Amino acid sequence: MKKRVGLLLSVILIFALIITGCGNQGAAPTESEDTGDNGVEKSSDFNAQMTFNGSSTLAPVMSAIATDFIEEYETWNNVNPDFPEENIAIYVSAGGSGAGVKAALEETSDFGMLAREIKDEEKEKLGENMKDFTLGIDALTISVNPENPLHEIKDDLSSEEIKKIFSGEYKYWDEVDESLEHKEIVVVIRDLGGGAHGVFQNSIMGDTQVREDAIQSPSMGALVTKIIENKDAIGYASFGMVNQNEGKLIPLKVDGVEPTKENIVDGSYKISRPLIVVKKGDLTPEQQAFMDVVTSEKGAEIIEEMGFVPAN
Amino acid sequence: MKKLRDKIFIFLLKLLTLFSLLLLAFIVLFILKESIVFFKEVSILRFISGKSWNPLGSLDKLSILPVILGTIYVSLVGILISLPIGVGTAVVLSSYTNENLKRLIRGIVDILAGIPSVVYGFIGLLVLVKFFEVRFSFASGESVLAGGIVLSIMMLPYIISTCDESMEKVYNEYSQHSNALGVSKSYMVRKIILPESRRSILAGTVLALGRGMGETMAVMMVIGNAPIMPALFKKCQTIPSLIALEMGMAEVGSLHYHALFASGFVLMVMLFIVNIVLYLIKKSIDI
Repeated sequence: MKKRVGLLLSVILIFALIITGCGNQGAAPTESEDTGDNGVEKSSDFNAQMTFNGSSTLAPVMSAIATDFIEEYETWNNVNPDFPEENIAIYVSAGGSGAGVKAALEETSDFGMLAREIKDEEKEKLGENMKDFTLGIDALTISVNPENPLHEIKDDLSSEEIKKIFSGEYKYWDEVDESLEHKEIVVVIRDLGGGAHGVFQNSIMGDTQVREDAIQSPSMGALVTKIIENKDAIGYASFGMVNQNEGKLIPLKVDGVEPTKENIVDGSYKISRPLIVVKKGDLTPEQQAFMDVVTSEKGAEIIEEMGFVPAN
Repeated sequence: MKKLRDKIFIFLLKLLTLFSLLLLAFIVLFILKESIVFFKEVSILRFISGKSWNPLGSLDKLSILPVILGTIYVSLVGILISLPIGVGTAVVLSSYTNENLKRLIRGIVDILAGIPSVVYGFIGLLVLVKFFEVRFSFASGESVLAGGIVLSIMMLPYIISTCDESMEKVYNEYSQHSNALGVSKSYMVRKIILPESRRSILAGTVLALGRGMGETMAVMMVIGNAPIMPALFKKCQTIPSLIALEMGMAEVGSLHYHALFASGFVLMVMLFIVNIVLYLIKKSIDI
């Protein structure tokens, strides 16, 4: 008898799992479509959760702002008395700019984060109703190891020289400057299809290809680590990462322009990329409330703290 | 009543089995579906025989021969290193140790298998790669060799446990006979245990090969990820690390995206072949 009850229970449990599993999946998209189409808040539609997915450069910034937001308000009714008293939950995950667009497109998350311009075909797919927020600018600095004497001899590389180094035309450091040692140049890049490389390719390389045996780092952190660890390495470390690791790697001038905040904002420093958050369709009031904070001065402060240049 | 209960139970078991089978079928079908889009544009033969990979380039720049070779090369280097160590350990475990020590070593080997691969990769990156750069003054330590060494440590538990099992069986079966004949233990190991367990050594090797070809994280961190023709001291790229590296950034629905699925499909076929070989070897062990 006992056995039978146990069996029955397990059967019920399994089916319950299956049914709830399917049920959630079925319900979620319709819900978001509703809010997307109407744009009108109904108390039953209120969603205390918000999800961000995308660029690994932007993810730490968003989660810092989100943590700050949650700590300050805790429940939604503190943000706006019209909202119900529910705990604020904001989830940020990183998967690359491409994944960010994909998540926004398929509505697997509310917002997508990009560390590059939105491509035209992506804009098309996201539809006319898409909303985008440019939060800040990140610049890619051409950085070398502090032990590399290059930065003492000449702290300025022309676009042409950078092109030659990254394309493999210069194979050894003494080809860049005669006083340097005859050592192979170790070029570190991000993956060729990624956002950061796209920016670099556009602003420096043009149609020239990067040398095939360049090390492709899986993340910006790994790229910076490689430059810090290897004396002969050169790579495009992001401005934010250089600020976080001050002194461990040296950014060089490009065409005589130093990568400083002023130069990045006024556009004279050429290797830079925008940090964008996109959403398919209109924002719900609670999402609007959060994005207002992100684009406020306080958000800008956090963006700056993380080493990026805020857009406003 | 009892019959009904049995029937329900059997039905449930069948349902769960079907579920796991369907899961596999769905994964295979999904990858196939996503890669067929690509194979319509580029023929399979061209995809696996072309020599250059550039996701930003034109159609004929999407081919993965160097990446396939890199995958095989890194795994083979790993096996070359781990096979002698693994078989040696298995011989010691089966023939030269007492029960307590055996339990201890097996426990350690199990722990070895349980360490997350990213930890191996991290150690490989900071110790091994750095070591190559400082000691051998490589321009950069990322190389097939570094990947192979990291993989060999990860393969060890597979080779040891597969070999150890059958060697112990052989040892127990023949130890009395060889003791009675008065031959030395090393003679017994050389003439009986090793030849008798050669099939399981092979099985362990193939199992480790499959493990190595699918390994992503640890390898990705130490091979440099440059899609060029692999050489022992040069950087290379493997299929799993190619997918892990570029999938996050690939634009959904683009040819690059489908090409990554296609390379995943190629990897799956490779692993499928490895598994068939493993199955055939295992079958011949039992007879």
